[in-house]
Formats: sequence, C-alpha cells, structure tokens
Amino acid sequence: MGKLQLITKGILKENPTFALILGMCPTIGVTSTAINGMGMGVATMAVLILSNMAISLIKNLIPSKVRIPAFIVVIASFVTIIGMLIKAYLPALDASLGVFIPLIVVNCIILGRAEAFASKNGIVDSALDGVGIGLGFTLSLTIIGAVREVLGSGAIFGVTFAADVMPLLFILAPGGFLVLGYLMVVFNKIAKR
Amino acid sequence: MKSSLKNMVLVLFTITAVSALLVGLVDHITKDTIAQTMQNAKNEAKFKVLGTSASEAEVIADSVYTIGDKFEIIVSTVADKSDNSKVLGYAVDATSITKSGYAGRIQLMVGFVEDGNTSSISGVEVLAQSETPGLGANMTVPGNVLEKSILGKNPQTLKFKVKKDDASGSFDSLTGSTISSRAYVNAVETAYAGYLKARGWLDEGDASSTPTGATATEEDDAKMGATAMSGATATEECAENNDVKEEEK
Repeated sequence: MGKLQLITKGILKENPTFALILGMCPTIGVTSTAINGMGMGVATMAVLILSNMAISLIKNLIPSKVRIPAFIVVIASFVTIIGMLIKAYLPALDASLGVFIPLIVVNCIILGRAEAFASKNGIVDSALDGVGIGLGFTLSLTIIGAVREVLGSGAIFGVTFAADVMPLLFILAPGGFLVLGYLMVVFNKIAKR
Repeated sequence: MKSSLKNMVLVLFTITAVSALLVGLVDHITKDTIAQTMQNAKNEAKFKVLGTSASEAEVIADSVYTIGDKFEIIVSTVADKSDNSKVLGYAVDATSITKSGYAGRIQLMVGFVEDGNTSSISGVEVLAQSETPGLGANMTVPGNVLEKSILGKNPQTLKFKVKKDDASGSFDSLTGSTISSRAYVNAVETAYAGYLKARGWLDEGDASSTPTGATATEEDDAKMGATAMSGATATEECAENNDVKEEEK
C-alpha cells in the first residue's frame, strides 16, 4: 500500500464514523455544532498519531495475550499527560479543546487502530494511518455537526441565520442519531460507486 | 514476545508502573501551574465584569459569606489602582444555590457598579458550567439573551424569574434551555444577595441605607434572606428543584 493511500483510505474506504462505525459515543455527544465536531476531531487526530507511534514502537515487547490491557494503559496515560500539559501551558487551547480531551481515552478508534494497525506495522506507516483516520474522523464529525447545527439551531459555524424556528430535536441526542443514520446511508451510497 | 505467565506479569507490571510514575510526575509538575491559571482566569473576570483591567484596578477587600456549609459567595471590592479610595465597583463570585442547571451548578462572576444611590449590573462572566453544548452552554456566548436581560439594569428593579415561569419575570431564557436559564438567574440572584450583604443593605428596617430605599419592601428583604442566607431553606428548595427536573426529563 502506498504512503498516500494510507492517508486517503481513512477518509473514504475506512472512514471511522461512516464505514468502520467506531467512536460513536463522541460522535453523538459532541456534534451539536460544527465547531465542536471539528475540535473533537482534531484533538482525536493528535492523540491517534502519537498513540499509534507509541504502540508501534513497543509492539514487539508485549506478549500478545495481554496486548489489549497494555494498549489501554499506554493510551490512557498518554491522553491524561497530554491533557494536563495542555491545561497547564496552553490555556487558550484548553478553553476550546479541553472538554474533549478526557473523552478521547474512551474513544474506541484509538484502541481500534492500535490493535488493527499499529501493532502490526512500522512507526512511519502507523503515524500516516493516524493522520488518515484522524482526518476521516474530523471530516465526518464536522459534517454531522454542521447538519445538526443548521437543522437544530439555524446556524452554521456559530453564525445564526434562522434563530428560534428550527426543531430543537436535532441538537439533542435523538436528532443526532437520525442525522448520523441518514448521513451513513448517503456516504455508503457514494463510497460504493 | 511469548505469552508465558512470567512474561505477561512482568510486561503488564512494568507498563502500569511506568505509566503511573509518568502520570504522577506530570501531575506534580503541572498541578501548581493549573491552579495558578484557573486563579488568574478568575481574577481577570473580576476586572472584566466591571469594565476595567488588572493594570488599572486592584482588589482592595474580599468578604466571604458561607451559605449552609457548602456555598461561598465572595464579594471583592475593586478600586482604582492609583487611588484606592475610589471604589470602581464590586465583583461577586457566586454559585447557583437553590437551582442547579441541567448538568450541575452554575458559577458566575457578577459586577455591580454604583452611581450615587443607584446600583447597576455592569457585567457577567460564567466561571463554571457543564451545560449541553449548543443549548445551555450558550450562556457563555457574549451577548446572549440572559446577559442582555440584566446588563446595565438596576438589580433592585429586576424580578429574578425567567419569563417562561412567571410572565412578570425579567429574564428571557435561552432557546430550549429553561433549566439552565433558571440556574443562571438563581446565581445572579445569589450574587445580588451577597452584594447587598457586603454593602450592609440587608438589614431590615434600615431602608434609608439601601440605594433606592423607598422601593425596597420588607417582604423583598425577607425573601432575599431566605433564598441566599439560610442553609436549611436552600436544601429544601434544592430538593424541590430536583423534582421539577425529573418531571421535565
């Protein structure tokens, strides 16, 4: 597989949200606005690239029967440390992304890629896989967030154009599931061609 | 590596030990900086709600009131930096007491300025909230309806209710976030009670010392006292509020 393909496959063929159906919890939880979706996507991408590289580095030292708990411990510590560092030294970034960082620990995309890709591939390929899957995730969350924001609060990227007339349902979780379902249909129709 | 018992125990132990050590180490390094950053944000808010900044003004006194044994109202007197006798206003740090939001209590910094005998609200900053993004969390957006309901208003003329609950209330609520709005209103009310207390204006029968004393009825004072200053009442109303919350879910 070429290096470029490693990145593009994450956006279409192995899109984490619409094709792999991974990370549904943050997908429903934070996509009430496009900006929030993008923030979560970017934060996840950063952690994913780093955790993929870390797992790829230590993969040969871990007995295969205990690989899952080992990966989880590595990822959780990793995210906690990054979270603390951002909180302490980058308060501006913390104000916009801080709420998402603890959520990344429980994001199964991170563990999923560690298990399915990073534990079998070299460090460069693992980093590229992180970039690709991260981009796919960011893109999907931004699209879902934008649709929910437009339908639910009559705004796009925080700019309101139709206040107070849109059905609130789309901001709440049930509307999130509706949007996710329909977008999944559309996405898979396009991707199958 | 081979999955022998010895290997597995050893590797897992090493990984958890190293991780714990690293997390502990980073926590130790960043703990003070994080506390400092949060304190700074709070200090900045004190000046921001009064329309000034740390370079022009400073806090000359803090009075702390405890409600029940859980809630603190901190009233900071902010004065001109070069002339400490020139009081610019009062910044009150208060938490919603009787009403919590959809996902926790709301902590606000509310600024009160005085012009002669009239006080008005000069600014509000949300210090802590955990409301739904896109709904209740909109209370942090500058220029939202809650903020607009009180900015520049004389708190004495305000009725601390959202219009949805009481048509004569002074507060519009955020779209689809009545519960969050109620908590916000309660936090403002608590801040006002703390402000009155700090200024010594809560004493009944001493109407002449209140800013627009003539309109302050004893009933208002009693109500204010009951809402903010009595722990028992606060707990009761809290329980009541929980019932309301259940119904609305």
